[in-house]
Amino acid sequence: MVMATKAYDKSFREEVYKNVDSGEDVKLCMQCGVCGITCPLRDKMTHGPRQIWSLIRAGKRDEVMDSPDIMLCTSCYTCKVRCPRGVKVIDIMHGLAHYALEQGIVPRAETAKFGKVFWDSIYKTGRVDETEVPMRYTLTAGPIHGLFNTLEMMDIGRALLSHKRMKFKLGPGIPPSKKIKGIKGLKKMLDKAQAMSPGKEG
Amino acid sequence: MDKNQACYLCQGCGLGEALNFEKLQEVVEEAGIGEVKTHEQLCSPEGVAFIQGDVDGGVNAILLGACSCRVKTNEFDFGPEVIVERASLREQAVYPSEAEYEGEEEAGEDRQMLAEDYLRMSAVKLAKSDVPVPFQLEEAPETSVMVVGGGVAGINAALAAAKAGVDVFLVEKEDALGGFLGKMAKLAPENPPYQELEDTHLEALVAEIEGNDKIKVYTGNTVTETKGAPGNFDVTLSGGESFRCGAIVQATGWLPYEPEKLAEELAYGSNDAIITNVDMEAKAKAGDLGGIGSVAFIQCAGSRDQNHLPYCSAVCCTVSLKQAMLVKEANPEAAVYVIYKDIRTPGQSEEVYREAQRKGVVFIRRGEDYPKISESGGKLAIETADVTLNDTVEIDELDLVVLATGMKPNNPRVVEPPLVALGMDQEAAKKVAAEAKAACDDWSVLNLKYRQGPNLPTLKYAYPDSHFICFPYETRRTGIYAAGTVRRPMRVTAAVEDATGAALKAIQATKAAAGGFAVHPRSGDMSFPEFAMQRCTQCKRCTEECPFGAINEDEKANPLPNPTRCRRCGVCMGACPERIISFKNYSVDMIGSMIKSIEVPEEDEEKPRVVVLVCENDALPAIDMAARAGHKWSPYIRFIPVRCLGSINLVWIADALSSGIDGVMLFGCRRGDDYQCHFIKGSELANVRMSKISETLDRLVLESDRVRVEEISFGEVDKVPQIIAEFMETIEEVGPNPYKGF
Ligand code: SF4
Ligand code: SF4
Ligand code: SF4
Ligand code: SF4
Repeated sequence: MVMATKAYDKSFREEVYKNVDSGEDVKLCMQCGVCGITCPLRDKMTHGPRQIWSLIRAGKRDEVMDSPDIMLCTSCYTCKVRCPRGVKVIDIMHGLAHYALEQGIVPRAETAKFGKVFWDSIYKTGRVDETEVPMRYTLTAGPIHGLFNTLEMMDIGRALLSHKRMKFKLGPGIPPSKKIKGIKGLKKMLDKAQAMSPGKEG
Repeated sequence: MDKNQACYLCQGCGLGEALNFEKLQEVVEEAGIGEVKTHEQLCSPEGVAFIQGDVDGGVNAILLGACSCRVKTNEFDFGPEVIVERASLREQAVYPSEAEYEGEEEAGEDRQMLAEDYLRMSAVKLAKSDVPVPFQLEEAPETSVMVVGGGVAGINAALAAAKAGVDVFLVEKEDALGGFLGKMAKLAPENPPYQELEDTHLEALVAEIEGNDKIKVYTGNTVTETKGAPGNFDVTLSGGESFRCGAIVQATGWLPYEPEKLAEELAYGSNDAIITNVDMEAKAKAGDLGGIGSVAFIQCAGSRDQNHLPYCSAVCCTVSLKQAMLVKEANPEAAVYVIYKDIRTPGQSEEVYREAQRKGVVFIRRGEDYPKISESGGKLAIETADVTLNDTVEIDELDLVVLATGMKPNNPRVVEPPLVALGMDQEAAKKVAAEAKAACDDWSVLNLKYRQGPNLPTLKYAYPDSHFICFPYETRRTGIYAAGTVRRPMRVTAAVEDATGAALKAIQATKAAAGGFAVHPRSGDMSFPEFAMQRCTQCKRCTEECPFGAINEDEKANPLPNPTRCRRCGVCMGACPERIISFKNYSVDMIGSMIKSIEVPEEDEEKPRVVVLVCENDALPAIDMAARAGHKWSPYIRFIPVRCLGSINLVWIADALSSGIDGVMLFGCRRGDDYQCHFIKGSELANVRMSKISETLDRLVLESDRVRVEEISFGEVDKVPQIIAEFMETIEEVGPNPYKGF
């Protein structure tokens, strides 16, 4: 069906209601604006949460799925606590990001890469290795950019080392990070959780 | 009556230390009351017993020098045969005055003079007052109630009255009961958790009416004439029947705003798929919603719009929510849009809003501009601003567009002018509005045979309310109550509440008529205006100015008072140039004599005197509260409570100025569109009369600055000292009254 570019289209909202974590809450928003105004990242966002909801209702799939805004959320929970309608704002924001990635859309590459490194670290070792994760993340930019980025972070790194806030490593996996006890059990749990995520059941 | 007077002075609440009681006693004795007693706390059981003992011994006229007449009313009630006149020494003399003044030869002299004046004034009033004898109708008062209108409000009013044991006449112009309720498919959720649409239960209600032998139903009838007054209303119906009833509830519903007027803004009439919420309800009732795949509701279609209905009807949002839910019930897959300015969901309707959202209805905030509706490919399309997206959006493929139009008062003469008045050139608008209002007032459901016209007087939007906040259901015709959408737009739940309230008020009115006492705001007052007719000049002022249409007239224009219609405001008394209207305990002479009993110091003493005529309804409580809150003000002020600013007779101002009083202030309720006057027109009339007085003042070579009207509301406690201070400053500037000492 060909729709006028700006016309309301109900397919995307139904998609969101069905596939995105807490997606049905989008229906309940009364556009009071509290979430947007309390969000500490509001200056960085093109569309605050409530506008994202409006876009979903209007059926603007691309605008929502490509929007870096849905990956900016830092999980501060302010919006969710304050929403008078009890909309689980951050759950939907993360849900949307997750859903986009699943669809092969990367709304904000940095966040996606960081998330991947973070997840790998937990999945493999059961912990977030504070040297390993930044190192790997820095290198996601490629060897040259990675080197530049690392040099940029040198001062902070040195300070952290001298305060024993970080262990020294030569490079990613050198030496390898220690695994937690019962890492197998944890992996099982994580696999199960992943299988249960919304949109997976059908 | 033979008066056996006594005065009791209270020394409680700090009065004992603040005043010289020996001197007070002398003042009262000089004023003609032989028996003067003091007590350390008159409101204590001992104090009350102390007075009661004397009452049992024959005292029947009491002057109490204690606290405000607004407090301790139960303690100081010694039965209907005993007159109690109260001088408010606490709130008006002691609390607001300083104990001493710089440069006074004697400590607290001003305060003492203040208290003495209050006692003198009260003594005069007591001497001139009589025990009111309740008015009795010549023919036995009726207790039955007529309810006009057989819709949801009328049905419920009739049932409520019948349940209270009263006979009811229920008149409906259609051939069947039900009104608009009969045209409704469902009601929006009315009970927790507000998620299920509800049945109208009309059949059950009608069956209940039919099964109730206290209710006599006249369908297919209108009221051709209503004569008489509360207790004795004589009603004739179009079917020829007639009966007498004690009070009336008018529940004649509403009219939908005409969608034809929205042809330009919302393309009404251009396509059959653009309908109103009224049409939509009919569609729903006919079970004709299944085929709707997509629909848009446009809120505020002509409402909150200066060119149409300037007000919010407070129901159309809930109605659209309900109808949206109906569409979703018929077809859960339907795309349903509500395009709104604000969703207004009074009461528990917010829950209905949530439920509609849960059901997947999509809401779009449009801002002030109307959406553009057009046809495209056999369907409808809408282009509208989306305020939250800060963009223009389109909705197409619509099967139906529903215009959420508002409610108009049920008066066929209500045309757009009184409603549009605000949007036009102001002068022209006022004229049109006045003409339209006159046309509305000339049309009536009840066809009252009242000197002031056949209809219930209406307010700005032609609704016959009188005092929206304090006295719901009240019209300006005593004994006639308005219930439901006849008085303001409201939904069914509210109309049912209204019906019960109005029915109970109607019953109360029949009791008041039988007992000869007033309905609110002077509930229980037994006094009523008496006319010394031999001196009447047939000037018609009383018949015209009575806010409640209580006074009819005969062929020779003699006033014919109907005391059971009277609210005892005294406006007629204030109006009468011959000063021949008086109450047993309130008269032109009484207040005039009080004013004259104030002692006015010589000019060289530099102690001005100002009389403040205070409306008892809002201004007096504000003064009491200000005094109790510790505010202080000039001790040269003398307050005299009046029933209403409208009851002020101009002669009092003349009395005051000719006895050397330096200024007169009138302290009353707000007037105008948002009036707070308990008697509706009282403060308005006072203002008109005062504007005329400056002429007289000029003739007397007196500055018109000496007279001022001030408006105050109940809560404006802080304004009291401020207003007084400003007026005292003015008086100081104008200087002493040249008539002092004459
Ligand atoms: S706080 Fe809640 S209701 Fe308000 S705009 Fe945000 S999501 Fe909507
Ligand atoms: S109830 Fe809603 S649609 Fe009706 S006038 Fe008020 S805001 Fe507008
Ligand atoms: S003006 Fe007031 S007191 Fe006089 S008749 Fe009318 S209601 Fe009664
Ligand atoms: S205002 Fe006084 S003089 Fe005039 S008609 Fe009424 S009673 Fe008579």
